[in-house]
Amino acid sequence: MTDKMCIVVSEGSLDKAVMPLMLAITGASMGMEVHIFYTFFGLKLLKKGIKPKLPVMMSPFTFMMTGKMKKANMPSYGEMLKSAIDMGVNVYACSTTVALMGMKESDFVEGTKVLGAAAFLGQAADAKINLFIG
Amino acid sequence: MNKDATLDVQGLLCPLPIVQLAKKMKELKSGQILELIADDVGAKEDVPAWCARTGNQLISAETEGKMLKFYIKVK
Repeated sequence: MTDKMCIVVSEGSLDKAVMPLMLAITGASMGMEVHIFYTFFGLKLLKKGIKPKLPVMMSPFTFMMTGKMKKANMPSYGEMLKSAIDMGVNVYACSTTVALMGMKESDFVEGTKVLGAAAFLGQAADAKINLFIG
Repeated sequence: MNKDATLDVQGLLCPLPIVQLAKKMKELKSGQILELIADDVGAKEDVPAWCARTGNQLISAETEGKMLKFYIKVK
């Protein structure tokens, strides 16, 4: 039986953007089935071409973090998201908050699926790991 | 140690060594031995954990200064 990991992401800063993907990519490398549910302010992380920023007051210093990431041979956020999807990580945009935040499905990167809460909870109900990031 | 392939992931930080390890292992045949060379501090525990989870045998782990060398048998 494959272990399942479900993650909910509700915020859109750079740290909150990278964390679930690191876990997802690692989980996928370990043979886990991974589902990430993006909701509210997390939704912007699924937008095509998005470059997430550090939270609030640190936002103008984002370049320092992204610089460090590049120096450490880490992929960019966009590359990480694409890798995760290519590796079979399931990425969902919460259908209700898509509407609330004035977004549409075509805004999101290829591979994003739109999903409701009940369907997501159906996955989470028998997941070995359930995490909330944000 | 007899090895059938080497994967050098020095300079990469967790989880990239594991991501590349997983990819490389898929290319090898059952019974083959992969030599993994890493210098990421996290790899010390990551590699055994990955092996335990995926059912691949970690034959040995050595440290040479900053270099971590793992020998993994493909299941």
